Amino acid sequence: MLDKKDCLRTIARYRTDEIVITTMGVVRPWAEFSSGDLDFASVGSGMGHAADFGLGLALARPDKKIIVLNGDGSMLMSLGTLATVIDSGARNIIIMVVENGTYEVTGNQPIPGAGAISFTAIARGSGFRKVYELSEMEELERSLPIILKEDGPVFVNLKVSPEDEPPPMRAEKSTALYITRTIAEDAHRLRDTLLK
Amino acid sequence: MAKARLILNELKKWKVTHVVGLPDNGSRALYQILNGESGIKVVSVCREGEAFAIASGLYIGGKRPAVLIQNTGFLESGDGLRGTAYNMAIPLVTLIGYRGYNTLGSKREDTAATFLEPTLEAWGIPYYMLHTDDDVKVISAAFEKAQETFMPVAVLITRECT
Repeated sequence: MLDKKDCLRTIARYRTDEIVITTMGVVRPWAEFSSGDLDFASVGSGMGHAADFGLGLALARPDKKIIVLNGDGSMLMSLGTLATVIDSGARNIIIMVVENGTYEVTGNQPIPGAGAISFTAIARGSGFRKVYELSEMEELERSLPIILKEDGPVFVNLKVSPEDEPPPMRAEKSTALYITRTIAEDAHRLRDTLLK
Repeated sequence: MAKARLILNELKKWKVTHVVGLPDNGSRALYQILNGESGIKVVSVCREGEAFAIASGLYIGGKRPAVLIQNTGFLESGDGLRGTAYNMAIPLVTLIGYRGYNTLGSKREDTAATFLEPTLEAWGIPYYMLHTDDDVKVISAAFEKAQETFMPVAVLITRECT
């Protein structure tokens, strides 16, 4: 099992100019490593709609790579998006499902199918050709440079240990800088950055 | 009923780059013409909530999307619309097929129709009615309204496009 924070730290270390979209239990830990103009938190957004929002960005900006750091519960809410990604032809999106088997931010209740579901099988069955399942840090270190350079779409299942992250909230005084504004402000700020 | 070609012309007039949605019987002709048309890309979704998230991402990325779905899917997509296009202040025009419009007030009223306008009103989403060719100009009005308010705006298509 990966430690979530170590895992995010490693992704942040290899990440260059990709747009990163986070949601749920990843939002605040990610901000410890990156909270800039190309980081967008799907907080105050639709439940389970980080990956499809990322797909829209990917289709709009084929010159940029989009990394979605999705949760397992969030991915289950819109599994169809995996088929939509394939059908869309987007090649610049990397969907990473951070799988801890629980709804961490609401108290670690198990997700439906916890321990039985295979996200990689679902991704392959949806048509993803580049599929990774990573549960050890050495594998992550070895695979990330390839994943980030690969022609997508890419699906990555990150097996992490459950923790006890509380629900992320947008608040002016949040220590996670990228959730100190409203989601509309952040969305339009991202648009301004991309249209520069 | 409205001709799909006239609706397409309106979308082109507003330089729509992508139509995101899911076909229904009423929009069949419009999807057919969109799929055959260069210039506007069709993004097919599995469920309508995705359409609002994808369209929002497209707009934030600098494109001008529109959504094309049926009222059944609109009712399904509440949280997707609320959390993305609405909360992110996206000037997004959504064309909604009004299944059951002709049953309103009848004994066999289609509840997909019953709840459509009350839902739009409850959510504060402005909407325009498109019944025939004579009404296609409401699409322009919807784009103007969306741009002025930075809000989602709906156009309700009450009959099958031809």
